[in-house]
Amino acid sequence: MSGVVVIGLFDGVEKAARAGKALRSLPLPAGNITTISGVPLPDGAVCEDPRPIRFPRVVIAAWFVGALAGLGLALATYLLYPLITAGKAIVSIPPTLIVTYEIAMLFALMATLIAGALEMGLGRFKARKVHDPRIHEGKIAVCALVEPGDQARRAAGALTEAGGTEVRVEEGEL
Amino acid sequence: MSGEHLLARTDEAQLFRDLSRSNQVTTWRWFAGMGILALVLLWGIGVFVYMMTTGMGVTGLNRPVFWGVLIVNFVFWIGLSHSGTLISAILRLTHATWRAPILRAAEAMTAFSLLVGALFPLIHLGRNWRFYYTIPYPNERGLWPNMRSPLMWDAVAINTYLLGSLTFLYVGMIPDLALLRDNSTGWRRKLYSILSLGFRGTHAEWRRYHVASTFFAILIIPVAVSVHSIVSWDFAMAKVPGWHSTIFAPYFVVGAIFSGIAGVILVMAVLRRVFRLEKALTPLHFDNLGKLLCTMSLLWGYFYFTEFLTVWYNRNPEEWEVFRSYGKSFLPVFLLMITCNFIVPFPLLCLRRVRRSVPAIFGVSLLVIVGMYSERVLIVVASLARRNDPFIWHNYFPTWVELSITAASFAMFTMLYMVFSKIFPIMAISEIKERLFHTTERAIGNATAEAIARVEEHGEGEVK
Repeated sequence: MSGVVVIGLFDGVEKAARAGKALRSLPLPAGNITTISGVPLPDGAVCEDPRPIRFPRVVIAAWFVGALAGLGLALATYLLYPLITAGKAIVSIPPTLIVTYEIAMLFALMATLIAGALEMGLGRFKARKVHDPRIHEGKIAVCALVEPGDQARRAAGALTEAGGTEVRVEEGEL
Repeated sequence: MSGEHLLARTDEAQLFRDLSRSNQVTTWRWFAGMGILALVLLWGIGVFVYMMTTGMGVTGLNRPVFWGVLIVNFVFWIGLSHSGTLISAILRLTHATWRAPILRAAEAMTAFSLLVGALFPLIHLGRNWRFYYTIPYPNERGLWPNMRSPLMWDAVAINTYLLGSLTFLYVGMIPDLALLRDNSTGWRRKLYSILSLGFRGTHAEWRRYHVASTFFAILIIPVAVSVHSIVSWDFAMAKVPGWHSTIFAPYFVVGAIFSGIAGVILVMAVLRRVFRLEKALTPLHFDNLGKLLCTMSLLWGYFYFTEFLTVWYNRNPEEWEVFRSYGKSFLPVFLLMITCNFIVPFPLLCLRRVRRSVPAIFGVSLLVIVGMYSERVLIVVASLARRNDPFIWHNYFPTWVELSITAASFAMFTMLYMVFSKIFPIMAISEIKERLFHTTERAIGNATAEAIARVEEHGEGEVK
């Protein structure tokens, strides 16, 4: 949805919650409303996050890919560079398990970083995202993505009525 | 409880100033300390170059002791790294309410001790300039690392743990880097802007951030355990008396956690003093870590006794000779180990007033570090010095070369920590703020107790 972001600052969670409720009743979909805060708030305290968290699936998939890579590395080593030692198997299972496990864990850890960051939308430096550094002073910023014009005016009014200060309309993304 | 829940329970600006003091104030002492450490490190590098150009003969290594202090240092630093991330991960997963001020110091300790420890196999290598032979890539030499060797498992495990720990440390810092970005100017602002990746603290970001943190904690615990198990298998897979033992993996893990907790306490005590963090790092934190240290001392004693008992009863001559040497040539090291790891720490740590006294617990932790270093000397050196054939038995003493490199490793670790504390937040500020937000004072009769709200999500939008 293209539009503008209405943003207002609140001192306490309850006022912010009232603002969140007022924005929903405009009506605005849950996905268009968010908070920006220095401390995480429980889901549903002010707004809800309707998007499911999907990256753990990527992590699990990465674990299996890593396991395959580890298995491949160990097996390829045995077969391409066979080390013949009397009485010892060329393809040895316990070391293969260790190498497989470690590389699987490495892939899962890296996938948590990369997939997690991507799903959070981090690293998009060129995107113009709304922000207010006063959240570090304990303020809660309630933001809503709205259509410019009447909807923006009504959203700003809802935030002001709920006790919001510094209510403003900005071009940008949530 | 008041009708309005405020995110700011304290003067946020003052809290930020207190917790990020290390980033804001740089005194002449910091530069003086860095200068001295840099000299020690440069000396160590010079000695290493001398050893590399002259040959390993300048060390005290000789038949049959081919693994000496350099390998002891490797095991010591990897062991020290063990607890930081592990403690942090366990405290995160169990939602320990006192964890916040400890996390960053512990995680950073892991990362830096791993960085230092991982250098020692390369330093010990002999022909160090051919270190790249250990990397698996197609080459004209027709050489490839032997995946059946425990040393190769070690390389794989340590790389996984190092990357995982650095990532764990970094991810834990993202909200604080965003906080610093919004409170800084100039090059620092640019640096924090890049490193915080544009984190703002939206509701969706926080939710995913918490899931990612939990995943990291879940994944890093088994990696941490596997790393020190594999370090132990470097020894246990060899048919060397004193090494070839099934108990070695859990014994090494326990020893690593033991020395790691002592390391965390030492680092915390120093940070508390240097950066005046008395309000954040309270006696409660030292008390809780002291309890863990006490438990690990007991566990270490149990493992050591179990290992000794089976050899003592069995009296297998090869293995018994190693233990007999503890009462002869290695008696000072053995006494140092037992005294510093068990006889002194265990009874002292049972006392609440010792655990709650920062100087006292600092002293006990220092003893544990000395004791665990001695233990590694006994494991590595004594076992090789009494290896099978009595005709080749020979004691080992490190020369100035090994001692210089060891001193340089301590200097490097301290320097890394000092540089880190200047650039990055040494306290997990966001975690501390979150804890303050969830904490209220509750009157129970005439007493006032601290009540901490814990948020659990049960389903779609359902919060308990």
